[in-house]
Amino acid sequence: MAERPGKDSDAILGVIPRLVFEPESLEEAEDAVARCARDRLTLGFIGGGTELGMGAAPSDLDAVLRTCRLDRVLEHAPADQIVTVEAGATLAALQAVLAPHHQWLALDPPWPERATLGGIVSTNAFGPRRTRYGAARDLILGVSIVRADGTRVKAGGKVVKNVAGFDVARLLVGALGTLGLVATATFRLHPVPEAAATVLFPALDSAGVSSLAEACRAAQLEPTSLAAVADSDRFDLGVRFEGFAPGVAKQAERLLDLGRRERAAGERLGEAEARAFWGRHEAVREMGPLRVKVSAPPSGFPAVARTALARLLGELSPAGAVFYPTLGLGYVAGRPSAVSAVAAATAEAREALAPLGGSLVVCEAPHDLRAAVDVWGAPPPAFALMERLKGRLDPDRRLNRGRFVGGI
Amino acid sequence: MAAVVGPDHCFTAAADLLTYECDGLTHGRTRPDLVVLPGSTEEVAEVVRLSRAAGRPIVPRGSGTGLSGGARPVPGSVVVGLSRMRRILEVNLRDGWMRVEPGVINLDVTRAVSGAGFYYAPDPSSQSICSIGGNVAENSGGAHCLKYGFTVNHVLGARVVIEDGTVVDLGGPAPDAPGLDLLAVLVGSEGLLGIVTEVTLRLLRRPEATRTFFATFPSTDEAGEAVSQIIAAGIVPAAIEMMDRLAIVAAKAATGLDWPDVGAALLMDADGPLAEVEHTSERAADIARRAGALELRLPRSEAERQLMWKGRKSAFAAVGRISPNYLVEDGVIPRSDIAAVLREIGAMAKDHGLRVANVFHAGDGNLHPLVLYDARESGQEHKAEHLGGEILRMCVRYGGSITGEHGVGAEKAAFMREMFSEDDLETMRFVCTAFDPDGSFNPGKVFPATRLCGERLERERPHPAEQAGLIERW
Repeated sequence: MAERPGKDSDAILGVIPRLVFEPESLEEAEDAVARCARDRLTLGFIGGGTELGMGAAPSDLDAVLRTCRLDRVLEHAPADQIVTVEAGATLAALQAVLAPHHQWLALDPPWPERATLGGIVSTNAFGPRRTRYGAARDLILGVSIVRADGTRVKAGGKVVKNVAGFDVARLLVGALGTLGLVATATFRLHPVPEAAATVLFPALDSAGVSSLAEACRAAQLEPTSLAAVADSDRFDLGVRFEGFAPGVAKQAERLLDLGRRERAAGERLGEAEARAFWGRHEAVREMGPLRVKVSAPPSGFPAVARTALARLLGELSPAGAVFYPTLGLGYVAGRPSAVSAVAAATAEAREALAPLGGSLVVCEAPHDLRAAVDVWGAPPPAFALMERLKGRLDPDRRLNRGRFVGGI
Repeated sequence: MAAVVGPDHCFTAAADLLTYECDGLTHGRTRPDLVVLPGSTEEVAEVVRLSRAAGRPIVPRGSGTGLSGGARPVPGSVVVGLSRMRRILEVNLRDGWMRVEPGVINLDVTRAVSGAGFYYAPDPSSQSICSIGGNVAENSGGAHCLKYGFTVNHVLGARVVIEDGTVVDLGGPAPDAPGLDLLAVLVGSEGLLGIVTEVTLRLLRRPEATRTFFATFPSTDEAGEAVSQIIAAGIVPAAIEMMDRLAIVAAKAATGLDWPDVGAALLMDADGPLAEVEHTSERAADIARRAGALELRLPRSEAERQLMWKGRKSAFAAVGRISPNYLVEDGVIPRSDIAAVLREIGAMAKDHGLRVANVFHAGDGNLHPLVLYDARESGQEHKAEHLGGEILRMCVRYGGSITGEHGVGAEKAAFMREMFSEDDLETMRFVCTAFDPDGSFNPGKVFPATRLCGERLERERPHPAEQAGLIERW
């Protein structure tokens, strides 16, 4: 098996492993994890590296397993609309395999050329179409994982409907590789929509965004994406419809009517303009070295905008924010001014989100800021149970040690 | 216990315990020592603490409509019935959720918000009597889960009492709470991880339009082909259901519907924005015609549409009209193998000298073969059980599952090894023991016991409420 000493480029948040495995098969991946179990080595996992900034730096990292060579599409059954892939396959490579069959995996996180399916599952990465299709948790049907002890096991299945046994596959979504290596994953697929239309409402205030989102639902429109993009206190709301051409055209038309009633002047974007809008939406994530994810119930958006978003945007330059008003999720990103000021803004944003039941997670941050904030925030109410679960699946706590919530 | 829940809600007399000896899987019966009906989270927590101190297994129970023996007591157990906890605690339409106690009936969730144009998507066939707590335990589906997903996709949060009586809150109305997604594994854990005492459910806005058609075919081959082509055309039906000849005969006998005598029928719902739905339903109807449909019926009114669905929904119970006894199977196969699998089931039935009626969720390959038999004829019941087991093995052979929606429960625990290795099962046990180290909750379910000689799969029988015509399933 390919095994080599660690280099700078293998580091996870500045921590360089002694040893790096790049298994070319699932068997080799098992061997690598088993070897770490035998030698009691702490072990981290790297996919495409697009979300490596998520979580705390590892408190101990002997070895890293890179999944880049586990990149096969193992099974695509177009008629059953399912696909099984190895963890290291990139999202773009998978979509390219599915495209000739007019199918796709309905996940659209950023950087699809680099983001791997294993990483997307482990970090619960998502994009604007979560509005309609849900996130990895909603599309995953089964997994095989390599447990901390090196045993490869499976959970779930490869049919869309299955309630046999505990849903370990969903449990791995967002677990940041702390419960085991996601080795393969099976997903439900969707047909590629034949038509799309984006309607843009520029320069709304947060209340305008909320009321338009609610009006959209009241009118029984079913957009696949709703995203409000901002660099100040004004939001450009993009609403995308996808599906069969007649339905798309009609829905876009009806939304424009709704906008007029809500006194929001919208326009249906041409193809190039639509691409530009969604590109701008993507680019917010790369506004600077700091990126935080904000969660709150959808109706809390005006309050979130007034407090958490405004407070954070004020400490960043350049700065940008994206909020998905029907999901209750968003990002703020940018270049921080002074560390102490941003840390204070983060703490205040958390205080503002807490009464709404929301949360703030620091997804990317410069090194000096990490020392001043807890990237995950206070441990959740069920933390004791999470720790027990971690202890059962990884008793020596060797997998991604110290990176997850509460030091898991 | 009586001091905790009140003497009126604590039963030990044999006559009172009778109801709780089984769930919808009626022939496997075990009498519990005690049944308690707590009225609050605090009472549940105290009951759990007392039971554990006494070393008694705890068996949670909702409405008792489950079809896999998931709520069947074990000897010496305390059954904790949640039927008194049936309050709707909070409704928030702006954020689209409702917080309920576990005893709330599935359909009552939708009823409470339908006036405002909202509904709760999971629609198990027993929805008029099954409880949300039970739905969470079983990760219940329904005909419309093809488009909308299962209970797990519609539960935002839960309050759960774990083995030491601790109350834990998981999830909530705000998405992506930091930490492990314990809620995802709690849903569908069949009562082995704890007792859910509150659930926050996602409510959806009603779609603008629904279009339905009923299509008949010479055989299940053409009907299966139509399903495949509809899906291949990029259409995601809200539901697409298939019945074979025997099921149609039974449904006709029960409802008096003027359905023709054909080899197979499909019933399809498309829903969503009007312009989209008109387009997709017409296209699907075209595809059905080209795939060999004999006749296509479009309901001219909502009443007519409801009638079509009534025919479909009554097909299970209707089988009782054409056979003295039957057992219900629940297995999943890849959708594209439907026609082949149905032929194989037909051949297997012939070998066993039995008839099998098929009524099922064609869109997601979830079969519900009804194995017809006559218990008065010696050996038939055993043959029927054997055939049911063979059908499940076949599902696994095709890459499917031993259960799509009824759960593993007590009934199929022994079949888990058909699908999962010892290591796979061990991983699930790790999850289980993290929540419940001593195995206090619902022992004997989901996980297979050490293999015994001559182990036999238990089979589903019609639920008494179903035989009485109170409920239907599909």
